[in-house]
Amino acid sequence: MLKGIITLLSFQFLGECISKLFSLLVPGPVIGMVLLLLFLIIRKSSFISLDNAVSIHLRYLPLLFIPAAMGIITQVDIITKEFWAILFSLVLGTIIALMFASKLMDYLTVRQEKKDEY
Amino acid sequence: MNIDALIEYITTTPLTWLLLTLGAFKFGIIVYEKSNKQTLLQPIIVSYLIIMSVILLTGTTYEEYFKGVEIIHFFLGPATVALALPLYNNLKHVKLLFIPILITLFVAGVFSILIAISLLWLFGAELPTILSMTTKSITAPIAIITSEQIGAIPSLAVGFVIITGIIGALLGTAIFKMLNIKYDTSKGFALGLISHGIGTARAIEISEKAAAFSALAMGLGGIMTAVFLPLIIQMVFE
Repeated sequence: MLKGIITLLSFQFLGECISKLFSLLVPGPVIGMVLLLLFLIIRKSSFISLDNAVSIHLRYLPLLFIPAAMGIITQVDIITKEFWAILFSLVLGTIIALMFASKLMDYLTVRQEKKDEY
Repeated sequence: MNIDALIEYITTTPLTWLLLTLGAFKFGIIVYEKSNKQTLLQPIIVSYLIIMSVILLTGTTYEEYFKGVEIIHFFLGPATVALALPLYNNLKHVKLLFIPILITLFVAGVFSILIAISLLWLFGAELPTILSMTTKSITAPIAIITSEQIGAIPSLAVGFVIITGIIGALLGTAIFKMLNIKYDTSKGFALGLISHGIGTARAIEISEKAAAFSALAMGLGGIMTAVFLPLIIQMVFE
């Protein structure tokens, strides 16, 4: 699995370096992710060591955001002050967005299927 | 016996917080599995409440806690890179529905951000909250690093991400039924695009196709947001 871990860290490192070198606003790890994706597309397959390294990172993914998420205890002021705004935005916003996204995708798919028939 | 030395060690070593965090998360996984994977009993929620109680009860500051678990936080970087693999594995589906995917990704992705921040603005929320809401639909690791980039509050951003995921997972199926959504691919894509990983976990229960499209939407949506959002925000504030 070491080869897989080295691969992940190298792509992150490369991504961060590119981000710094060209003063990009895109976060380094995301550049690393895109580069790894391109690498896999060119290579046409993954390898076992990488599969294992990826699965150990993604299996416990929620654990990785606990440290950042715990910072909420320093934001009590904002949350109490803007509680209703946040609640409405989250609940209503998510429902409307889900409706819009699923309906749009469905509509476009139906249109494409029709076109394919002719 | 040197009780003072022991207490001194326990209260200062990072191991205390590291062990508490890992242990609480493991406990969260057990609860989640015992509950037949109830969406509201996500491992992160159960473990979060346990850790938060301990921090508050012991009067620990966030900085002290963070120092102990910084090593966990570090792994967000490689985990983000790791997201390339599930995206690669599902990329073959893009060819099937290229145009619908491309349009939905951009139009619904932008719409989702706009509707959320308009609602916040309407209810009089302030700028830091509004900025933190812009990453709510993307997977948490990318949301955290992107929110740091745009001057939002990462902890608030993760909170919004998790809640958005849970709402989507809880209400998704009912919404699709109400709107008569025909294709599983549409259901999956919407769940992944709006409710990232938690939505994808739900899509797995719909069908294999829904799961694949959900993972696809989550990956593409994350990249798109991380690439364009900082640019747009920079342009708006210049």
